[in-house]
Amino acid sequence: MTYPPCHTPKAQQWPRELRLSAGGKLLKVAFESGRGFELPAEYLRVMSPSAEVQGHGPQERKTLGGKRNVAITGVEPVGSYAVRLSFDDLHTTGIYTWDYLYELGARQTEKWSQYLAELETKGLSRDRPGEK
Amino acid sequence: MVSEQDIYAALRAVAGPDGKTPLPETGAIAGVTVRGDKVYLSLSVAPEQAAALEGMRLAAEQAVRRLPDVGAVLVSLTAQKPAAAPPPRQSRPPTPPRSLAVPGIARIIAVASGKGGVGKSTTAVNLALGLAGLGWRVGILDLDIYGPSLPRLLHIHGQPEVVERRIQPLEAFGVKAMSIGFMLDEEEPVIWRGPMVMGAVQQMLRDVAWGELDCLVVDMPPGTGDAQLTLAQNVALAGAVIVSTPQDLALIDARRGIAMFNKVNVPVLGVVENMSYFVCPHCGERSDIFAHGGARHEAERLGVPFLGEVPLALTIREQSDAGAPVVVSEPDSVYAAAYRDIAAKVQAQLEGAPVRAAPKIVIE
Repeated sequence: MTYPPCHTPKAQQWPRELRLSAGGKLLKVAFESGRGFELPAEYLRVMSPSAEVQGHGPQERKTLGGKRNVAITGVEPVGSYAVRLSFDDLHTTGIYTWDYLYELGARQTEKWSQYLAELETKGLSRDRPGEK
Repeated sequence: MVSEQDIYAALRAVAGPDGKTPLPETGAIAGVTVRGDKVYLSLSVAPEQAAALEGMRLAAEQAVRRLPDVGAVLVSLTAQKPAAAPPPRQSRPPTPPRSLAVPGIARIIAVASGKGGVGKSTTAVNLALGLAGLGWRVGILDLDIYGPSLPRLLHIHGQPEVVERRIQPLEAFGVKAMSIGFMLDEEEPVIWRGPMVMGAVQQMLRDVAWGELDCLVVDMPPGTGDAQLTLAQNVALAGAVIVSTPQDLALIDARRGIAMFNKVNVPVLGVVENMSYFVCPHCGERSDIFAHGGARHEAERLGVPFLGEVPLALTIREQSDAGAPVVVSEPDSVYAAAYRDIAAKVQAQLEGAPVRAAPKIVIE
């Protein structure tokens, strides 16, 4: 008989420290591997893994504008695999796994310019609230 | 029926929170409701004043009661934060992160199964007693909200006592025991909604006076739902033991269980094959009722340890239902030996691999 696939995505990356600084505007993530990233709150917010942003599939994914001044208000551990970030725009449903934080750090330049391009195409801006 | 105007007029005789301004002029009257001859009045005051204003509340109650056509009066003080000037959003300081560790408990492991009826609770109890037999201080927590069975399996009854707002766990055979079943009536159906599950899980972990434990064994509800996820998210689990029968049907679900624990980074300590085979008590012939070896096979395929097999035996079933788990009631039996062996493998894994330290969270 055939079985459904059993995928075992164990965390490849493990952070040593998460440091929230600049009044909640910057999350510094230091990984055990020695790599460290500085992730702005705005970047984390618009890349939130929450279904509110990602939808249920690539077609449903939303581009958020107007988050230039967003700040992180809470960093809560979730099990041993992730943190839940709360933002001051009351978005609290994003659970960021270690691997996702690593991906956001390692591909920051690429993902950020992609985001800026999406804003441009959809007629949104970093300063004006709106989503598409 | 009394009118609101009459009530306001009567309340003019009562001094407001400052001790002189008539109450209706202070803006403290948050609501007046008249139902027949009953009057409900709510007065909104600053939280820190609430205790001092009991006299004002009584005076208001008496003033309204003196009105004609008024039977009963209920005046309540509602403490409200001052509505003026809500703090600007930007200045709200980040909340400090809470800890996921449960004080006093060195490690928490979950005993889970993909489907019900595979003997998960019996395995959990005997595993806990096996670990206690190896010298560990052990607690067992029955979180099977759909069918809590610990009270029966350990033959313990009654409501746990509450001392200094902490629930005292019951004790049986040297292990501390707590079950969601102690809080419920055996005959009552239980309808659990998501948030209730989360609340119950939190309470069972943090409001119970477990004391110092080397290991807390959690008997999970079958499946991959809210309770499992809540536990995995709110506690740093040291590992999970998956119980399955060798039957394909059960193994498919067991695989889902393993996948779920993998997803939330909880190490799978291994798979136990329960009801592995049946030896007829009369003729001694062995029958592989659910086929045999399926769980071992599956464990190998998925790369998780195989912890052992426990036969389907009348003794285990009878002793379990009688509240005398086979590890303690028949310690020399092959069944007890099977459980002890499983416990030893679990203990070795837990001692060998300390829980990976959670990252430090610093809020500047």
